[in-house]
Amino acid sequence: MRILLVEDDADLGPRIARALRDENFAVDLADDGIDAAHLGETELYDAAVLDLGLPGLDGVSVLRAWREAKRDLPVLILTARDAWSDKVAGFKAGADDYLVKPFRVEELVMRLRAMVRRASGHAQPRLECGPLRFDSQVGQFELDGLPLRLTAFEWRVLSQLMLRKGAVIERLNLLERVYEGDADVDSNSLEVIIGRLRKKIGADLIETIRGRGYRLTCPA
Amino acid sequence: MRLAPRSLHARLLVLSALASTAALGVAGFTVASVLERFVIEGLDERLDSQLTLLASVVAADGRIDRARLEQRLATLQAGPGWRWRIMTPTETTGSSDFPILDPGPPHHRPPDIARDDSSRLIPMEGASEAGVPVHARRLTIQTDAGPVTITAAAPRDVVLRPIRGALMPLFGVLILLAGLLTTATLVQLRVGMRPLRRLREQLTELRTGLRGTVDEDQPTELRPLAAELNALAAQNAAALAGARQSAANLAHALKTPVAALAIDVRDDPARSAQVARIDTTIRHHLARARVQVANHRMATALAPAVADLVETVGRLHLDRGVDFAIAIPDDLSVALDPHDLDELLGNLLDNAARYASRGVTIEAHRARDDARRIEVAVSDDGPGIPTAARDKVMQPGVRLDEQGDGHGFGLAIAIDLTAIYGGSLTLEDATPSGLRVVLTLPTA
Repeated sequence: MRILLVEDDADLGPRIARALRDENFAVDLADDGIDAAHLGETELYDAAVLDLGLPGLDGVSVLRAWREAKRDLPVLILTARDAWSDKVAGFKAGADDYLVKPFRVEELVMRLRAMVRRASGHAQPRLECGPLRFDSQVGQFELDGLPLRLTAFEWRVLSQLMLRKGAVIERLNLLERVYEGDADVDSNSLEVIIGRLRKKIGADLIETIRGRGYRLTCPA
Repeated sequence: MRLAPRSLHARLLVLSALASTAALGVAGFTVASVLERFVIEGLDERLDSQLTLLASVVAADGRIDRARLEQRLATLQAGPGWRWRIMTPTETTGSSDFPILDPGPPHHRPPDIARDDSSRLIPMEGASEAGVPVHARRLTIQTDAGPVTITAAAPRDVVLRPIRGALMPLFGVLILLAGLLTTATLVQLRVGMRPLRRLREQLTELRTGLRGTVDEDQPTELRPLAAELNALAAQNAAALAGARQSAANLAHALKTPVAALAIDVRDDPARSAQVARIDTTIRHHLARARVQVANHRMATALAPAVADLVETVGRLHLDRGVDFAIAIPDDLSVALDPHDLDELLGNLLDNAARYASRGVTIEAHRARDDARRIEVAVSDDGPGIPTAARDKVMQPGVRLDEQGDGHGFGLAIAIDLTAIYGGSLTLEDATPSGLRVVLTLPTA
């Protein structure tokens, strides 16, 4: 899962980014509104965490710009403004969730995972695919009832496939959602990760659709 | 001890009563003296004509012409108490019981009717042996034998009776006049003070937030006062906005570093608890600061505000799967600042959504016993709060549930806000289970 984190505070931004990466998220950090609006319109993200008080362009305007550009990525507003009127205004501007600073990292992570899961069309947090189980709330995979150990990249790829199980995910789309914006991406790295995942969960579940991408196929 | 009454109304009334009493007193006294003088002058003329008659019986050598006296005495006007006396150097004659006399007060001396070098006319006052006051005139004429004094006296009653007769109705009229003047003053005060009373009522409304300014279309004397009051109110409103802004600025300034700190210490439970305490304290005081400056009353439509809040609260608790039922007529408006209404109902709906097992209901209607109030009820079907714990919950800042945000914090803000707007908040049992928070709020 790739997140756009928009936070102008030089202390807080990198800390949130680090905490989210610890939870396997790929994080791009923007520290002003103009960059944020641009990134949200041009890059692919699973979700955005948006501060309201930003230099350049305020958070609500950034959000409106995304919505006007038909970017429907789920957005969580993370702000110091805790008045109910601010919350109402945030949701009216098109936000999907709202969290007040200071916050518990666990709560931010939980809300982000829930947002991404709901945006993929799943009402329930537990997803299954054959022997594979994913608790999207905890971010934990199980294979045949046993916890599955995954690297961050493996987790990002598998969670993408799991959230859109049965559908073909374009290779470039998958790449964008796995790597951070400034990452040096080797053209073969995705194939390497898929290969390692097949070793862990069995070769049959992930299907390669030639010339297009990948699909998680669940046995009936 | 203060002699002047505290009330302007009473002061003006007392002053006016004193002034009219004094004026009427002076008028009464003046009329009485003028009247007395006229009557005395009339009496004096009668006494003087007697004196002239009596003087004609005194010969140039100082002797009294007895025959002539007898003749003159018959023509002397007399009634009971009228007396006369002629004193020559050699003899004294006159009516019996002649009173003891003193020269009268100087102001009784009229212009002499027969002033010449040889005769002198003076008024005199005195009393008869029976104690009846008398008024007299004494004429002194010079004869070859020496000065002869002729005195004529009449009872003062002759003067006083007509004066009394005239003064009784006069004083009656004066007292009636005093009553009329006092009534007129009362009416004047009532009418004259009316703009002041209206201004005071407007000021009360200004203070309680029912209006933004007082009417500047006032009588000339009050216009500067109204303008000053409005300037003061504007200054207050600016200070209020400034305080709100400062609170918001402080919130942002403190919360972001505290958020960074919370992430740094998140693996250390003791320090995390400290940071949580800092957070609670900041939130508590900011909420308080917001509540204390909140008193701008304006008509805020209830239904749209509730719809927005329900949408917001619903999204914040999306995974709890709570259903919201809203029953609020479209025409209800409350006299609350929209931000305060959001804060009040947002906290209550948030609590309800947090504790509900399936559903939250929010209803509103005009209070049955008071058309100027609106009753709003927020109910959940959660565990509710036991009656014994409710008093504790109603105390500010008390949290029933120390894990996460309990009812306490939001409820405390809601209680403070309803109190500021003159409303009320009570906790009841919902049916079949859960908590029902009932608010009364002023209508717009």
